[in-house]
Amino acid sequence: MNEPILKIKNIKKIYNGRIVLDIESLNFQKRKIYAIVGPNGSGKTTLLNILNLLLKPDKGQIFFREQEIINQSDSKLLEIRRKITLVNQDPFLFHSTVHDNIAYGLKIRSLSSAEQLIRVKHALEMVGLPDFEKRSVDQLSGGEAQRVVIARALVIEPEILFLDEPTTSIDQKYIDIVERIIKKIQKEIETTVIFTTHDLSQAYRLADEVISLLNGKIIKQVPENLLWGEIIEVDGSKWFNVVENIKFAVVTEKVGSAYISIDPRDIILSYERFLSSARNSFLGKITKIIEQNHLVKLEVDIGVPLATIITRESFQDMNLNLGSNVYLTFKASAVKLY
Amino acid sequence: MFYFIEGIEKAFQLIFALDREIFAIVLLSLRISLTAIMLASLIGGPLGFLMAVKDYWGKKFTVVLVNTLLALPTVVVGLIVYSLISRRGPMGVFGILYTPSAMIIGQFILATPIIIALTYSAVQGIDKRVRNTALTLGATESQSAWMVIKEARYAVLAAVIAGFGRVIAEVGAAMLLGGNIKGSTRTMTTAIALETSKGEFGFGIALGIILLIIAFSVNILLHYFQSKQVGI
Repeated sequence: MNEPILKIKNIKKIYNGRIVLDIESLNFQKRKIYAIVGPNGSGKTTLLNILNLLLKPDKGQIFFREQEIINQSDSKLLEIRRKITLVNQDPFLFHSTVHDNIAYGLKIRSLSSAEQLIRVKHALEMVGLPDFEKRSVDQLSGGEAQRVVIARALVIEPEILFLDEPTTSIDQKYIDIVERIIKKIQKEIETTVIFTTHDLSQAYRLADEVISLLNGKIIKQVPENLLWGEIIEVDGSKWFNVVENIKFAVVTEKVGSAYISIDPRDIILSYERFLSSARNSFLGKITKIIEQNHLVKLEVDIGVPLATIITRESFQDMNLNLGSNVYLTFKASAVKLY
Repeated sequence: MFYFIEGIEKAFQLIFALDREIFAIVLLSLRISLTAIMLASLIGGPLGFLMAVKDYWGKKFTVVLVNTLLALPTVVVGLIVYSLISRRGPMGVFGILYTPSAMIIGQFILATPIIIALTYSAVQGIDKRVRNTALTLGATESQSAWMVIKEARYAVLAAVIAGFGRVIAEVGAAMLLGGNIKGSTRTMTTAIALETSKGEFGFGIALGIILLIIAFSVNILLHYFQSKQVGI
């Protein structure tokens, strides 16, 4: 494992006496993509701004390449600040040309005009806007503006690129483009990318690692029984199509690709199919048994593996073994959609 | 009524003949006011900027104070500066009363509050994201401050022009501090006052027309820059 490029320890941020961020430790490796997910108010943006040095934590340490940076001198801090950059959720373009905007970071780093021209051109090609240099920013569409903002950040060739909700304020049709650019940046300029999103499926699509925040704290467990599939509508009811022949009844308004998760505690295990209000019931084989104190976690293959948790008593009463055929039953409302 | 028409006729003759004395007066006026406005911009611009971006104790008071100073009567400024630089005043030793320098000081005092107040509101109106954007792209504090000023450029230019409009047209301080000495401190406004009282309408009207043209141009420029800033 290579050494982390960015590391935080015991970070606390307090607003009006309320702890909005409380993180014990977090490491970011070089050249990886990280997604910070969580609902509104979970501390995503606070964490991002502490990491990108816009915000000072009330407690804790930040390390950039093993070097503590909170109490550094201004000039040292500037040096580190110049190796990272942020693309804001609601980005701002200076009232000038596209070239002037993208060249700004190079200009303040005292690069020659010739060098600026070459790098601006390359950055624009990378975001798919070749020959946009001379355009005034007033003439750009929302999606184009977002890409110019990304070009302005990547032209610096930062070691870490932060993006705050990069696709929230743009049209659906540009999201795919922006996502592809993010992947490309990480590959081509070997940047570590850290972005926030409330779109869990986007997080899993793009990131090597997903950091899940709730009430300012990292939740260690990634949601269990997380599955990617398609929501379809058949005769007025909604189904989640996992793989061929396996469909979960779900409760939702939307259709299309989505992530779902099912809490293992919400799944009932039985030897026989029984009559109930639960709309999902599947036959499968037990493939794994993990004993955890008073509980037993079982993995059952119903075509896709699903985990379920039962008490040790039930486990013993039912005399369950590896390879036992069992039914898994759960309500449509137990399927959580992202 | 006849003397007035005669005066206008004379005025155009003087202007089209490029009368030496008239143009000497115009140039002197421009020189004094432009110097005053330059100095006022150097002081007032940064002060207005700092007032907008810094939080400090007594901020509200200074805003009110500067806005009050906008309405400062020109003769009062003349009077105060006069009392300071007249031979008996604390700065009498410099002997600058009745010189262009004295007039520049007076006009500087008149223009500075205008430039501070208008720069203040110009910078306040600038998107708060400008500074953060510059910082995240690696700017130092002063580089980010410069970016904010650049974003406010048209409004700041409008502030400077508004200040110029005020001082080029003022007569009270120029009269008290300059003394209206021919060839030395006689500006357009003081010359108009003098020539009119002497009954030399033609000369006065000629200068009046030029002054109006200048004021008109200043306002066109002002309007132009203000509309540019709104477009931003």
